[in-house]
Amino acid sequence: MSSATTARSTQVTVELRVNGRTYPVRLDSTTTLLDALRDELHLTGTKKGCDQGACGACTVLRDGKRIVSCLALAAQCDGSEITTIEGLAEDGHPHPMQEAFVRHDALQCGYCTTGQVMSAVALLREGRTGSDDEIREFMSGNLCRCAAYPNIVAAIREVADS
Amino acid sequence: MTATLAKENVIGRPIDRIDGRRKVAGAAPYPSDFDLPGQVHAALVSSTIAAGRITRIDRSKAEAAPGVLRVLTYDNAPTLTDPPQNALGSTMRRPLRDDRILHYGQHIGIVVANTRAQAVAAARLVEIEYAEEEPVLDIDDPRAAVEDNPFGMASSRGDVPAALAAADVTVDGTYTIGAEANSPMGLFTTVASWQGGRLVVHDTTQAPSFLRVALAVMFEVPEENVRVLIPFLGGGFGAGLRLWSHTVLTTLAARVLDRPVKLVLSRPQMFHSVGHRAASRQRVQLGADRDGRLTAIDHDAIAANGLGDHLPSPIVAVTPSTYACDNVATHERRAHLNIPFTGFMRAPGAIEAHFALESALDELADQTGVDPVELRLRNYAEVHPVSGKPWSSKALRDCLEVGSERFGWPGRDPAPRSTHDGDQLVGQGMASATFEFYALPCTVRLVVDRRGNATVRTAGTDIGTGTYTITAQLTAELLGIDVDQVRVVIGDTDQPPAPQSGGSGLAGALGAAIQDAASELADQLARLDGHPGESFASLLDRHGLDELEVTGYSDLAGAATHADVAPAGAFAAAFAEVGVDEDLGLIRVRRLVSVIDGGRVFNAKTARSQAIGGAVMGIGMAMLEELAYDPNTGRVANGTFGDYLVPVNRDVPDLDITFVGEPDTFNPTGSKGLGEIGIVSIAPAIANAVYHATGRRIRDLPITLDKML
Ligand code: FES
Ligand code: FES
Repeated sequence: MSSATTARSTQVTVELRVNGRTYPVRLDSTTTLLDALRDELHLTGTKKGCDQGACGACTVLRDGKRIVSCLALAAQCDGSEITTIEGLAEDGHPHPMQEAFVRHDALQCGYCTTGQVMSAVALLREGRTGSDDEIREFMSGNLCRCAAYPNIVAAIREVADS
Repeated sequence: MTATLAKENVIGRPIDRIDGRRKVAGAAPYPSDFDLPGQVHAALVSSTIAAGRITRIDRSKAEAAPGVLRVLTYDNAPTLTDPPQNALGSTMRRPLRDDRILHYGQHIGIVVANTRAQAVAAARLVEIEYAEEEPVLDIDDPRAAVEDNPFGMASSRGDVPAALAAADVTVDGTYTIGAEANSPMGLFTTVASWQGGRLVVHDTTQAPSFLRVALAVMFEVPEENVRVLIPFLGGGFGAGLRLWSHTVLTTLAARVLDRPVKLVLSRPQMFHSVGHRAASRQRVQLGADRDGRLTAIDHDAIAANGLGDHLPSPIVAVTPSTYACDNVATHERRAHLNIPFTGFMRAPGAIEAHFALESALDELADQTGVDPVELRLRNYAEVHPVSGKPWSSKALRDCLEVGSERFGWPGRDPAPRSTHDGDQLVGQGMASATFEFYALPCTVRLVVDRRGNATVRTAGTDIGTGTYTITAQLTAELLGIDVDQVRVVIGDTDQPPAPQSGGSGLAGALGAAIQDAASELADQLARLDGHPGESFASLLDRHGLDELEVTGYSDLAGAATHADVAPAGAFAAAFAEVGVDEDLGLIRVRRLVSVIDGGRVFNAKTARSQAIGGAVMGIGMAMLEELAYDPNTGRVANGTFGDYLVPVNRDVPDLDITFVGEPDTFNPTGSKGLGEIGIVSIAPAIANAVYHATGRRIRDLPITLDKML
């Protein structure tokens, strides 16, 4: 594999801790966390919408905080606890935010949805759900071209209030 | 026997979408989530100029790069057959056809390597030299080739020049709309694999049945040897309605290498590879009497088209059907430019036409002193203005009246600049919308088994509108079973052919086909001597049958040609309130009321989502979105989400959505399609509100800050 790389890149071994499991992976040092999750770990629930940090589709939690995984290098996440959409359910039960998204039809094509849900879960922890306006403001990094926005706000509001 | 939808105990109910749980779990597979054994990865080489010829290609560095398996350019690629025409108009120019460069970002090569990173790195090593020409980028450039009436949409009734000359009041306005990028969130992807002479392709398409035919023709294989799979799309808004060159190139690379090849477009590539709403300019002339009764409409439109491309975006098609007016003329032209190929974007044509017409009507209201709502009612088309036949359904009057009441329109001071809120000027505007009936033939297969479960199969796909869910609801209702007893298998061309998800035509065509299948099933059951109220399970059991299979078919457009009613599309009215800070030139939509007559609503929850999606995309069109080309090089200048702004959560105002009307009398299921109507009247309502707030008539979308200062 080492010969099959460009001159500038180096292979590194990383221990990724994702959804409570440890995955030792060997990858190019420039590999983003997003590509590592999707291509190496086959956790394809996290989506790529821009690869430029501008859409939020790739949002995951790193040590409980939301990040856009397309702007994080996998190698830098060694030692961090990563949570993806696949790790949100507990004992086979969907997270209340996932349930609320379905109930409120906070999705259409569904492509942005996993990023929205991860962002929403982090938002609750950040305590940014004081008003609908606050939710709108702090969910504005997650684009939804289908524009499920009002229903996303309603779903988050319901979980925040319960 | 005709299966009927009389009970309405399942249809219409706001049940959760049946694919929702998979989507929120990240378990719904989009094309980019598919990986096949032995798969290799492709990256595109795109032209960096907008016009000219390739004079030299050197593939050697790329070919020698790590992991590279093949580099294909026009001079070493096998020749393909030209793609066929289809119901959506002519299709694209075949990629890698020759050395000509027609637009920036044209795909001029494909590199295949073991990994995606290797392919992307090697694509940069393909050396291309060009003989560059000065690109033609503007509709008004005298060098632009202009086609007159290329799609036969010019029309005339009455004597427009005479009526305009005799009119008490006239309005004459020119309206321009910038190019818009569909920008679905899902990156368009192709995963192509040849197994012997059979092609299986996962592709981001809204038109799987069409794609199958097109690929079969281009690669000279029988249609049944092509399987297109698209269970989940990642959005399209029309971008998935054409055959695009990346799909062809990936399929070609897979055939040449005899290995599965995967290509995922980058976001910047999305801005020049999968079409856009064409930039357009329209002139609308209205003639009316003193009371605002229309005596003449003259509507002229010119839109940009790619060079070497012929795609209708039927701007003036809807105009003759909008208002009761004896004298109506339409004219349409296309200017061929060195721009990336245009495509279809939500309500193509209709939305452009309505921006111009509904803005012009607002100007007429202003001139005559007739209230804008009353003006639309005075010119209400009680029968179809072209055929003279009664509409199969039309509740536009309800849209206007209900909208007016919900918005609190009565009592509005019509004078511009009359309303303030703090240091903001407040304006209120409205617009109505007429959408044309559209349908293509659709076939479904319906199987009922001994446990009383049903499976519905068709090739059409769900782009997020809720096709899975309404298919299950319709089937459950017609068969008298529960929604969770229905399995929906769609997005697979091994299933019976279906229309594209586009033109707001799928739900109606599919629903009618399901109803036909249910009727056929009822006939079969009658032949089996079923007792009244007997379950499928017991009946099949009695006859020792495992299952019953029937086929259903609909051809609504065919039926429309000899109908004694004029089949209607959806109608809508929108009311907008804006706040304008004149010092800063900032405009904010404060609230929007949207009232829609879409005939029978199959699912109140997913229907509302469609209306919200349309309204918000309409705000984007009115306020934010414009694809910019560098005027010298033709390069897309804002091809990222950082530069091309789409509405975010914070941009959404207070939205009030209402559905009115009755089940349509022409479509057997009563539906009229909801995917597009919700966007059509938004931009003109906002532009009219901006005029009311400021006294400034902006006839150029989007209404950005610079136009307000
Ligand atoms: S894919 Fe990471 S922000 Fe868009
Ligand atoms: S649901 Fe389609 S982009 Fe959000």
